[in-house]
Amino acid sequence: MNNEEAKFILQGYRPNGADAADATFCAAIEQTKTDPLLGEWFAKQQAFDAAVSAKLAQVTPPAGLRAAILAGGRVTEGGKARVRWWNQPMWMAAAAGVAVLLTAGVALWPRQAVAFDEFAFEDAKLSMIHGHGDHGASTNALQWTLSQPVTKLGQNLPVDFANLRNTGCRKIKYQGHDVLEICFNRNGEWFHCYIARSTDFPSLARNAGLAIVDKGGAAIASWANNEQIVVVVSQAGRKSLEALL
Amino acid sequence: MSSEMFTQLVDAHYTPLYRFALSLTKSPSDAGDLTQQTFFIWAKQGHALREEGKAKSWLFTTLYREFLRIRRRSDRVTALEDLGPVEADPPAPEVDLVTGMDASLVVEALQEVDETYRVPLTLFYMQDMAYKEIAEMLEVPIGTVMSRLSRGKAQLRSALARKEAGARDKVVPFQNPSARKQS
Repeated sequence: MNNEEAKFILQGYRPNGADAADATFCAAIEQTKTDPLLGEWFAKQQAFDAAVSAKLAQVTPPAGLRAAILAGGRVTEGGKARVRWWNQPMWMAAAAGVAVLLTAGVALWPRQAVAFDEFAFEDAKLSMIHGHGDHGASTNALQWTLSQPVTKLGQNLPVDFANLRNTGCRKIKYQGHDVLEICFNRNGEWFHCYIARSTDFPSLARNAGLAIVDKGGAAIASWANNEQIVVVVSQAGRKSLEALL
Repeated sequence: MSSEMFTQLVDAHYTPLYRFALSLTKSPSDAGDLTQQTFFIWAKQGHALREEGKAKSWLFTTLYREFLRIRRRSDRVTALEDLGPVEADPPAPEVDLVTGMDASLVVEALQEVDETYRVPLTLFYMQDMAYKEIAEMLEVPIGTVMSRLSRGKAQLRSALARKEAGARDKVVPFQNPSARKQS
């Protein structure tokens, strides 16, 4: 092995000595001990590499990143747990029974929900940029969560309604109650998400299943449960919405 | 995976992952997003990983793939062959060039290295991965990693020298009117 070859290999030798036992480097390391010029070069290279490593180690993540990751992980884990719950045959059978009993009630949902859908659709049409500014850390965190490909819509969203409302999230009035609006971007398309509390709209049927309707080139998805009523409006059509579910 | 284990995993890896992401994206906010996205994917899929010891490699590989996936939509791909040969006899770098420099400037210099070389170079300087692990992660032969490290270090030296020269140029000469009168 000549010195050029030794230098080529030694540039992969980490300055913390973690590669000391790696046979690939042994011959080149030995050569640095017998060749003073190579030895000097290697010492300087190691000192340089150690200095760069030390500088890189001074980079610290922004405050709040850890908390955001942990919160996001809990939301995602929670989402998986719900799926497993639904998949249990006992609960599926019970849900089917309840569905039969609630047929009459569910039948009311489309007419009333359409009104909320219409409201959301009209609001989304008013401005294509509202909600895209800074509306507080909680809104930004939810906006980020919604924008992630791993976040599946059509189920309960990780929303602290009161916190969002009080920390700057855009809110609009519908039938005298606050509705939160968060815009988010997914796959290059903007979506408008409207969230209302189920307790504010007792006349709307709860636990309504997911529904998607087309409207003038746009598409509207809606679903509800005991906690929240959610409507998502997309100007990019049905396929863009279906990709989120 | 339990919440406690997830917390331990985050605590063990989120800082080096962020540093790696910062080197890739050159933007603190994008680096934060990419790091979060990586742990989101872990929360969805990583629990299926049978060997916990491979979590680190899994996370770094996932982060890198996510970066490539996002970038692929809007960016170009550099032709490696156009970037010149490996230095036959690289000079010994001057350590003083780095030690006297602010960490942010060193990171900026690292970010000026071509992405093809920057990825293995950053992983090398983070010292968490051996060249064999880097080769496995990037799915390239070991020799390719070595040559990319060599080229990357050459580019880094040049970038650091530019930074140092730029910093020198910014130094405002001391001008003391009274001292000038006396002379």
